[in-house]
Amino acid sequence: MTVTYLPMLLVDVAGSVTMIVFAFMSLNRASGLKEKHPENILFLYLVWICAAFTIFAVSRSFGHLLKQMLILSDNTDIWAQISPYSGSINTISFMVVGLITLFFKQSWQINTELLSSRKNLEETRVKLIDLNQTLEQKVVERTEMLTSSEHKCRRIFEQSLDTILVTDDNWRILETNPAGVDLTGYSRNKLVIGGMHMESLFADKAEWDRISRIIETKEYILNEEIEFIKPDGSVQHVILTGGIDYGAFGCERRFHFIIKNINEKKEMEKQIAQADKLAALGELSAGVAHEINNPLGIIMGHTQLILKQEAGNEFKYFEDLKTIEKHVKNCRTVVADLLAFSRKGSTEHGVMDINRIVKDVAGFVRNHSDFRDVEITLDIDGEQSLEAMGNEQELRQVFINLLINACHAVEKSGAVHISTGTDHEGRLLVHVRDNGCGIRRRDLDRIFDPFFTTKPGGQGTGLGLSVSYGIVKHFGGTITAGNRKEAGAKFTVSLPAAEKQTEAQ
Amino acid sequence: MRNFFKTVPGASLFLLFFSDPAFATQMHSGTEGVIVHQFGHLFFLFSMVVLILTITGKELNREKGWRLIQYAAFFFILWNMAAFAAHLLDNQMNTVTVSNISFSEITITAENGSRLIEIAYYLLKLDHLLCVPAIFFLYRGLCHIPVKEAS
Repeated sequence: MTVTYLPMLLVDVAGSVTMIVFAFMSLNRASGLKEKHPENILFLYLVWICAAFTIFAVSRSFGHLLKQMLILSDNTDIWAQISPYSGSINTISFMVVGLITLFFKQSWQINTELLSSRKNLEETRVKLIDLNQTLEQKVVERTEMLTSSEHKCRRIFEQSLDTILVTDDNWRILETNPAGVDLTGYSRNKLVIGGMHMESLFADKAEWDRISRIIETKEYILNEEIEFIKPDGSVQHVILTGGIDYGAFGCERRFHFIIKNINEKKEMEKQIAQADKLAALGELSAGVAHEINNPLGIIMGHTQLILKQEAGNEFKYFEDLKTIEKHVKNCRTVVADLLAFSRKGSTEHGVMDINRIVKDVAGFVRNHSDFRDVEITLDIDGEQSLEAMGNEQELRQVFINLLINACHAVEKSGAVHISTGTDHEGRLLVHVRDNGCGIRRRDLDRIFDPFFTTKPGGQGTGLGLSVSYGIVKHFGGTITAGNRKEAGAKFTVSLPAAEKQTEAQ
Repeated sequence: MRNFFKTVPGASLFLLFFSDPAFATQMHSGTEGVIVHQFGHLFFLFSMVVLILTITGKELNREKGWRLIQYAAFFFILWNMAAFAAHLLDNQMNTVTVSNISFSEITITAENGSRLIEIAYYLLKLDHLLCVPAIFFLYRGLCHIPVKEAS
């Protein structure tokens, strides 16, 4: 069959060129996709397959074009030599195309899994971000709460007027607040950094043993009234409440205490009790003095009458009557003192210059033959006149009593110091200090009691301080006794200033 | 281990100097090339069938891009069949002979004188009419590949 060759030629040439063009366009397109999404395995696969198709198209089309050219130029023998190579390359190229195509399923699978993993990863990342944000938010909230709570606790701890004290398992102080430093009188360094033992705060070691035993047994202690001792030796009355804390994880035993200072309350109670006692004693003394005073007056009258009648005669009982008269006078002095203590007597009041009285009394005592070896010093507040309302003679008696007591306390060879001044309320103060043996603690409560004396028998009536107490009280003042930090005793007379007293009246 | 290093070089030297010819290399005839080429076409065809089935199996043909690639594979199948048939007729079985009469005419002669074979051969030689659409569909398919595949 003879046919026209032209259609075959045209289709062959045009088809070959078109094949090459579309193959390259496909490769370009696939490469574009790959570049846009370099992480996509499928597009990488498409690049590979398009590359294989391009090789296939080029090798095939090149072969065809060459064949046509050689046939048309009557060089069929050359083509006969080339065609096996061209055919082989062509075979290899579509073998490669076929081979790559067979991996489509696997490529798709890998891509799907990758995409799925990436999606999961993204979801997980979003969740993680969300969780992280939530966590951060929670951390911020918790931190704020914690800070607020810490601040609140710290404020309570720092500003509490009661002492808060924490000790370790061995009762060593770990922490305390400023009130604790004030109460104990020890520095924070000594208490906390020095790890002071709780026992050191107790005035009575037996009391500490009892308290620690109770805490160990019951794991708490409630409102126990005890005494602390300060570094200066003074005693502090406190109420102790405490318990055991095992810490946040239950493995660290600590003791927590809240200690309330009741010193002022105790002092006040003591003063009230003292005042009540002295008032009752005053009433009693006044009654007794009144009842005794009349018979004493009769005895004295009759004795003196007989002595007067028998004056100039050789009277047999003259000495006896004199003895009676002397002792009755003594008795009347005691009775007068008792009345002075109870202030049942009436005296005239006027303005008293405290500084002048103190100077006079000091001069008087200095000149007393018994106390010449005592060094009496004065510290008079001369800048302002210290004037109080009262009876000057009686106030002199008060200061004489106090000075004589002080001179006795220093055993007639120590130092007595008198100072005057005012307190922050404007009350007038007179301090009498000595460097003697001081007052025993058990005697402090009874020192103003009538007939209470620490002097050897016959040397004192025990009425001096009680009379002084009565006088000062009658003037609207107070008299207190105590021991000095260094050594010796200190008496303080406090009187209302004259103007204030007048204004009040 | 020491024995190994002594034995292997000795054995190698023995084989080198004292071995006889083994005739292990197989000879190949000229028709092997055509058969390999035909197997290539069949393999290409098979891979295109697999591609079509995979796209259908994964329901990717819902997307225009993959559908166009399926068409490309289909045309490549047709092209492979045509090429296989043409090679069968001229190279493998030598049933058809082609000779150039002039620049514009050729003569196709079937060995058995069948006019139908001659016409069929002529048409089969226009195989670019199958492979050009195939590559065109491949390109268009790539143009319509959904970008969502990447995400």
